[in-house]
Amino acid sequence: MGEPRVETLDSAPGLAPIFVRAALSRTRRLDDAIPPRVLRLEGQRIDRDHLTAYQRLCGFTADDRLPHTYPHVLGFGLQATLLGDPAFPLPMVGLVHVENEITVHRALTADDLLEITVHADNLAPHAKGRTVQLVTEVDVDGARVWEGRSTYLARGKGETDAPSGDRPPAMPSGFPAAQWSLAADLGREYAVVSGDVNPIHLSALTAKPMGFPQAIAHGMWSYARVMAALGRHASGPVTSHVWFRKPILLPSRVDLVVDTTGIPNVAGLRSARRPDVEHLVLTVS
Amino acid sequence: MTTSLRRAAVLGGNRIPFARQFGAYAEASNQDMLTAALDGLVARYHLGGEQVGEVVAGAVIKHSRDFNLTRESVLGSALSPSTPAYDIQQACGTGLEAAILVSNKIKLGQIESGIAGGVDTSSDAPIAVSEKLRKKLLKVNRAKGAKNQLLALTDLRPTDFGIASPGNTEPRTGLSMGEHMAQTAKTWGITREAQDELAVASHRNLAASYERGFQDDLVTSFKGLAKDANLRPDSSMEKLATLKPAFGKGENATMTAGNSTPLTDGASVVLLGSEEWAAAHGLSVQAWFVDAETAGVDFLHGDEGLLMAPAYAVARLLERNGLALQDFDYYEIHEAFASTVLATLKAWEDEDFCKNRLGRTEALGSIDRTKLNVNGSSLAAGHPFAATGGRIVASLAKQLHEKGPGSRGLISICAAGGLGVVAILEGA
Repeated sequence: MGEPRVETLDSAPGLAPIFVRAALSRTRRLDDAIPPRVLRLEGQRIDRDHLTAYQRLCGFTADDRLPHTYPHVLGFGLQATLLGDPAFPLPMVGLVHVENEITVHRALTADDLLEITVHADNLAPHAKGRTVQLVTEVDVDGARVWEGRSTYLARGKGETDAPSGDRPPAMPSGFPAAQWSLAADLGREYAVVSGDVNPIHLSALTAKPMGFPQAIAHGMWSYARVMAALGRHASGPVTSHVWFRKPILLPSRVDLVVDTTGIPNVAGLRSARRPDVEHLVLTVS
Repeated sequence: MTTSLRRAAVLGGNRIPFARQFGAYAEASNQDMLTAALDGLVARYHLGGEQVGEVVAGAVIKHSRDFNLTRESVLGSALSPSTPAYDIQQACGTGLEAAILVSNKIKLGQIESGIAGGVDTSSDAPIAVSEKLRKKLLKVNRAKGAKNQLLALTDLRPTDFGIASPGNTEPRTGLSMGEHMAQTAKTWGITREAQDELAVASHRNLAASYERGFQDDLVTSFKGLAKDANLRPDSSMEKLATLKPAFGKGENATMTAGNSTPLTDGASVVLLGSEEWAAAHGLSVQAWFVDAETAGVDFLHGDEGLLMAPAYAVARLLERNGLALQDFDYYEIHEAFASTVLATLKAWEDEDFCKNRLGRTEALGSIDRTKLNVNGSSLAAGHPFAATGGRIVASLAKQLHEKGPGSRGLISICAAGGLGVVAILEGA
């Protein structure tokens, strides 16, 4: 990997063209090097209407605070640009978001002017293929205020003895803390807000070619929805770590299960109809 | 009269700036705004995670899903989730009535602390389907089986489809509040000039209060708005004179958009507590919540003006507390319309009204107008119905605290349905 090359963009890139281009060029050379690119957005002002739309859809209070997961959405265009780079070693289409970690160093508000930087890191073997991490860093006035690490899996020939990273905690059991009905068009609604127009989220028709019988909910939506439900326990300067398990097929009814007795607090989403189907588990500390 | 009870203290307040309808808060719900106002209060007085005795608030215009609006706002706020809450609604008197209820429980020793408030949105208003359609849809819902449901559906007519949005209209008279007030203004001979003067004073006083930093610890910005959107610091008689009458008819129509409050969105909350609770939390008492009174008038047949009830309530409140109308350092008379304030003042000066209507032996007399709404009122700030009481209580308490112990303030708020809610605060 050569010297990192920092490219400052004027505005967040549009995502639809990136997905289309990625879908059209599915053959990849199985290179082992991540292009040494660092993408940056400077002086990012918060669009209050967009913030409100995100807060409503994910169940956060519609106030002036930026939700825990919100900066991820602001940096997602940069992530997609890196992943869609023809020189990127893993194919963008078919990547599965398996894990995500977010640390908030200080609570952010809609008045903060953000500098968002994204780079790829840790191309690694995995039991079911290869993983790569996309690191999103947010600075305000030169100080690091937020960072996120998204782990994506490209399914393929894996290495069974590959290191598996942090092991997720056990899913909390017992009565649901809440039960949510997720509408069939949830993926389309979140696609509008997040810009993540991956066809697996949009409709059954567009999800089928990718191997899903129905559209599936965005992992980042369910992550955000759980963080919103945890309320004050999960806002402000905290670290969260989510492990995505089985996708949520839309429409669906899901149970939120929470265990706040231990440290860290653990929350999970499971199918309401079949409680053995676990969708995600996350920790907050 | 309340010697056996302990005193209830006003410790501070917080509100979000009031926005004009479809302005900065167009997408904000009542719950969003009330939660924001609560969180600002919590931050200012370090109440994070604290269990407060009770939170009482309400909204005049409410979606049916918001049945537990205040409790839901508490759960969304940084207060301890073990803080109980309930909703009340008394039209534009809601916010002040909430403060009365909280202070009464504190006086009785039932709670040590409480938060009173109110919120209203004219932007995110509930819309209902027409009454005919509603009835028929309920019938469809009741029908057993697909066949009966289809049958019930055939009952629907194209003319059933209509929506009803809540208006500022009295249910029993069909007249808007402005139209009611126009009649009262005419009865009392309130001139256009006097109304415009009051409006200009309101804008100038509120602007000056922002200027001198008075609002700094009363207001927390929200959704990019740092000051009341309706405030016009450069308001003048000349500018107001150009406006056409909005209520009333003919040459005698005096009420314009400039001397009437606009539709606004906003929320306010006030922190109250016992002396001990305040001391334990290191909070200084701004004012004592001394006493309060409510009144209703029969406005249905033109016997009395819709917004004249505070004139009655104040007379009774003064009587009970052995005070004269002139025994106050500050008067906060809610400016629903400039003419409301002026008609109320004129009524108190009128011997005939005071004798025949209020049952007094003489007129209550006039007040020193320099003591009236000294930090501006609803004409400048705007009037999100239930949020006005909290705005006034917090601001008057602070003003009385600046004046010093023993200073006295009178609050008078008129409300739909011919209601009036009034209260006395004493500086600490």
